[in-house]
Formats: sequence, C-alpha cells, structure tokens
Amino acid sequence: MAVRALAWLAERSATPVYIACGQDGDAMAARLAQVPAISLQHSIRHAAILLVAGPYRDADRPALRRLHDQLPHPRATVWWGAVPLAEAQDAVTIAQGDHPVARLRRLDRNLLRGERASEPDWLPDEPPNEWRGKGDHGQGGEGMMGGVPYGRPMAMMGEEMRDALMLDAMTITIGPFLRTLPPGLSLELTLQGDVIQQARVVTPAYPASGGASEPLLRAARMLESLGLPDLARRAQISAMRDSAEGLLAAARRCGALLALPAELADVRARLEAALRGGTAPDPGEEWLVDRLAGMEWQSALLRIASFDPATLAQIAPAAEPDEDEEDGDEKERAA
Amino acid sequence: MGALANLILAMAVGAALLLPMLWWPMQLGGASGQSQQVPFLGGGSQSAHAWQRFHIRYYPMTLLFIAFEMEMMFMYPWAVVYVETGIKALAEMGMFLSILGVGIVYAWREGVFRWQ
Repeated sequence: MAVRALAWLAERSATPVYIACGQDGDAMAARLAQVPAISLQHSIRHAAILLVAGPYRDADRPALRRLHDQLPHPRATVWWGAVPLAEAQDAVTIAQGDHPVARLRRLDRNLLRGERASEPDWLPDEPPNEWRGKGDHGQGGEGMMGGVPYGRPMAMMGEEMRDALMLDAMTITIGPFLRTLPPGLSLELTLQGDVIQQARVVTPAYPASGGASEPLLRAARMLESLGLPDLARRAQISAMRDSAEGLLAAARRCGALLALPAELADVRARLEAALRGGTAPDPGEEWLVDRLAGMEWQSALLRIASFDPATLAQIAPAAEPDEDEEDGDEKERAA
Repeated sequence: MGALANLILAMAVGAALLLPMLWWPMQLGGASGQSQQVPFLGGGSQSAHAWQRFHIRYYPMTLLFIAFEMEMMFMYPWAVVYVETGIKALAEMGMFLSILGVGIVYAWREGVFRWQ
C-alpha cells in the first residue's frame, strides 16, 4: 500500500534523468533544461533513466557500461541520437532532431508501475579488480601501508605541494560523462585531500561543432559549478534562444563574478566573455595538466569548464600512454 | 504484569517497524551488486583504495579554540569568588591571561590564523 502510494507520488514528480553527453550533447541537454517535467541530475545515483545524448566514441564504451550499472533499479536507458551498445536489450532510441520528453515520461511511468522490467547489469557482477591480497582480508601483509586488496593498491604517501607534509595520495579517473566537465573530457587525477598533485588527459573533449550557443552553454556549466543552478538554467535557455540579453547583469547581481577569487582572474574573464556570448582570448601555451597541478578541486573544475573547445583541443590533447604501459603491451604481444 | 505487557507491546511495535526496513532492500534485487558499490566518477574508475589519511587543516585552530574555551571555564568559578577575594584575584587572573596571550602571539606568528 505504502509502496503504491510512493509510486503514485513518484509518477507525478519530475522524471530524474542523468544525461551522458556525447558530441553536441550539451546543446541537447539545454533543450531539456526548459522542461519542468524532466529533472537533470548531477549524479547517476539520483536518476532513474540514463539518457545518452549524441554520438559517442568507441573509447567511451567501457565508461558508458560502468555508468549504466551504477543506475539504481528500476532503471532504463534511452539513446537519443546515439547508437545503442550491443548489450542494450529492447533499446529505446530517439532521433537527434526529435524531442524525447514524452518518451522519457512514459518510460518513467512504466518503470514505476512495473510494466517495464528494470534493465539488468551490462558488466559481470564481479569486483572490478581481482582479489590479490595475502591475508584473510586482502591486507597484503604490510599493515595499513601497501598491499593490493582487490588488485588496487592502497593509497601511499607522497609529498604535499602546499606544506610538504607526507600524506596519502589517491589516483582516480573522472569523466568522460561527468556533467561538470566538458563532454568527452576524461582526466586521471592524483589527489591529496582536495589538492590536485598531478593530472593526465585520458580522453580529450569532443571537438567543437561550431554552434553559436557554445559560450552560453559553457557559462551554464561554470554557473552550475559555482552553485547557481537557476542562473545556469537561464543560461541554457538563453543558449537555445540565441540571445545573451540580460544574462551578464543577472550574473553580476547574483555575485557570480565576485565569487571567483583573484587567483581565478582568468576564469572570471572567460565567464564574463561567455556570458556576453563571446570567447576570451587565451594564449594557450601552457598544457591544461600543468595549469591544474596544485589547484584545489573546486577551482580546478571551474578552470577546466571555462576553456572553449578550440583552446581545450589545443592544450588538452590525449596524453601519450606511459612508457611502462607500452612496455607491458609489448611484452603481452611478445608472449 | 503490566510492565511485561508494555515491554512485549514495545518490542512488537519495534519489530513491525524494523522488519520491513530489513525486508525492503532484499526486494530491490541486485541493488547491491559490485557495480553499484563503485563510487560515481562520471564513468571513470579509481585506481587506488579510498582508505587514506589526509591533513585536517583546521587542526591547529581547533586546538587553540579548545584551549581558550577551557580558559573561559576557569573564569566562571573565578567570577564567583572575585568579590570576596578582591585585588588578589584580579592579579592572578591577569597573570593567567597574559601567559595565554603570549600563546596567541606565538600562534599568530606561526600563521595559525591564516585559513588554508
């Protein structure tokens, strides 16, 4: 009874959607920003439907599979202007030019009523890395330091950039479908606390499609990172209407520009230019990864989001694979 | 007898509330698979365990706060006896505060109050 009441209420609320942006996915997401019946989520764990918008690269397939399996049940995937993966059974596809709102609403309702079965996992239900520990709990025999439980090393100490304290560094890969990053960009970051020690580009951002709305969409992403979702939505709607009128004044009133500290003056200049519908010139000589080293998480996300696609393509090309990895591959091939 | 009946009633109500909470996750089926336990990184994955130590940067400031909070605790009983003890109590508290003041000056010089 209670469950039915919850389902009844859920049917009447906005459909929670996580949008995985492919090529031009940003502009497609902006089309959904105007629709109150759809609520675009920042985490896949808050969504019921994964919406793959725009064509994606072959290199992004594993990330897409991981993303799908993190969706909570009951769940579904919609392919909007994208080719479904082979694993997707009974795939819901929508042409890039069509508007997906009606389909998304119907799908959400069917999922909640149990008329459509929740999608099974696309990846096998096993740990992402194999068990390689020595002890009962995979501790590796070196106490808290070292060991490789589940095939992943424990965080080890490294020099801290700010005050040279030896503390643990952790390496993660973010993207290519993280909404706060430009679509397609995937970075490998070594973090100590919230400070980026080292960065590497895994996959570059999708190339610019040359749309006139790009600066406003970029401004929307930055405003979202600044914690101004309503203003971000307004920027997205302005992008769809190709008019940046009043947007800069509204951002000034909200204090969006003042919220950026002096060390992010370049980001402030780019945000101001983007809100005007233009692009601030960037010398583009220093690599993105060098610009990120030593930055705090939030500032780094803002700086990444502030680059226009042309500059990003110039300063953040895909990194050469590590020499060790190359050696490993050669050995594998020789074997 | 009345107490026992109340206890049994309370346990029954507790079980009625708790059992559905235990039963509910089981109904979701597959919700606790390996893929669902991985942190959300926008399609990325982590290459080291998240169990790690990092520096709490507000730590020296917290220590300082606790020290001065304790000082305030000493001042309450002092305020009670101040009137009858008179100038001697004032001198003693003056000495106590000046020693702590030296601590503040030292901490200031070390940059404890600079927010990092």
